[in-house]
Amino acid sequence: MILLHANMPLSEVVEHHTSLIPVINRFGIRLGLGDKTVETICKENELDTGFFIAVINTFLNEDYFPEKKLQTFHTSQIIDYLTKTNVYYQRFQLANIERHLGSFISMSAPGNQSLIAIGKFFNSFRDELTARIQNDTENWFPYCKSLDQKLKEQEATETAMVVKSVSPMEMDDPIESLLADLKRLMIKHLSGEYEQNLCYAVIFALSSLEKDIRQHNRIRYRILVPMVTAIEERLNR
Amino acid sequence: MQRTKQIAIILTDTLQCIGLQSMLTDYFESVEVAVFPSFAVFMAEGNEQFDYYFTDSATFVLNTGFFLPRKSKTVLLIQEIADNDSIHSLSIHSSPETIIKQLRIIFTSESSNPLPADTGKELSIREKDVLHLIVKGSTNKEIADKLNISLNTVLTHRKNITTKLGIKTVSGLTYYALMNGFLSADDIDI
Repeated sequence: MILLHANMPLSEVVEHHTSLIPVINRFGIRLGLGDKTVETICKENELDTGFFIAVINTFLNEDYFPEKKLQTFHTSQIIDYLTKTNVYYQRFQLANIERHLGSFISMSAPGNQSLIAIGKFFNSFRDELTARIQNDTENWFPYCKSLDQKLKEQEATETAMVVKSVSPMEMDDPIESLLADLKRLMIKHLSGEYEQNLCYAVIFALSSLEKDIRQHNRIRYRILVPMVTAIEERLNR
Repeated sequence: MQRTKQIAIILTDTLQCIGLQSMLTDYFESVEVAVFPSFAVFMAEGNEQFDYYFTDSATFVLNTGFFLPRKSKTVLLIQEIADNDSIHSLSIHSSPETIIKQLRIIFTSESSNPLPADTGKELSIREKDVLHLIVKGSTNKEIADKLNISLNTVLTHRKNITTKLGIKTVSGLTYYALMNGFLSADDIDI
């Protein structure tokens, strides 16, 4: 699998991996990329090229996770990115799945209990994700930022901070588990008459959210959490 | 769900190493490959917990003390097609399709005592009882008391339910039960 570099034309990569479009949109990059290189586009959009490349590469290649590199970025950069992904889930992906699911259920055989159950399951998943996003926005992210601010005030000198890495053992994230179950229920246990095309649309939308959340969670648990723990330890010394 | 196969590649030829490694990871699910450029490095890392050892004849011959006791787990990379059945082998000149086929045979012959894979099978009556209580929100302890079974048995049932259905979360199980008529919407709060 290829990796993105600063001097590559961004359009070339996006052409082959169209699922990157929402990711670059999140950074404020719009289509009409021309033949501009990644570096040029980042400059035009006032983005940190290194950070942009690191994030895109985690999407391009799921085995690639430059933990040390990502930890060198600034806490606020990481939080800004995670905030953007949250906004995207709430405003677009959840809305998108809801729309497909609505027509899937209404266009399929009326009274199919199995579809009604799927609809309800999705609602409870949506509530969980929305609650997590709300907690991020109102509590956790502001807390992380305030810690970072405190650290800056205390220490004018910038000595490197020791960030302990978390073992990449499987972290059971409740959001990921729910999403996996929802998808599996549809694939393995669906019954009765249903509209096939719309069913695929729902599963496709669920899968793309699943992939996005997986990347979000890697950054969340393996980058931001250890960074914040390191700041906490530093401040308590 | 398959158990991950731990594979050690012990080959001095870098290109062979890379080729074999990418074939294993590209065409087979749940394999974990560790690559060692020589037998000395392999021993130095001191890990014997592999399901398969891929190596060449020279390394095999020089280290029979290690490989012979693990003959059934060893796969030799050879020049010619072997008529020797006592050890698994891959002919390096075969076409990719043939090599993949041979690998598949090697991996399936090993699992003659297969995993307790009840995957995809129906839930037993007892498991349905447990499922019913889980989705009604009972704790493991309550389930054990109600069904008059030990806590350990409850845990085993839960594990089997998850393996059979592929569903991990309580919400997922609840909607599974609803979809399959084990439960009516009135039974629970949703």
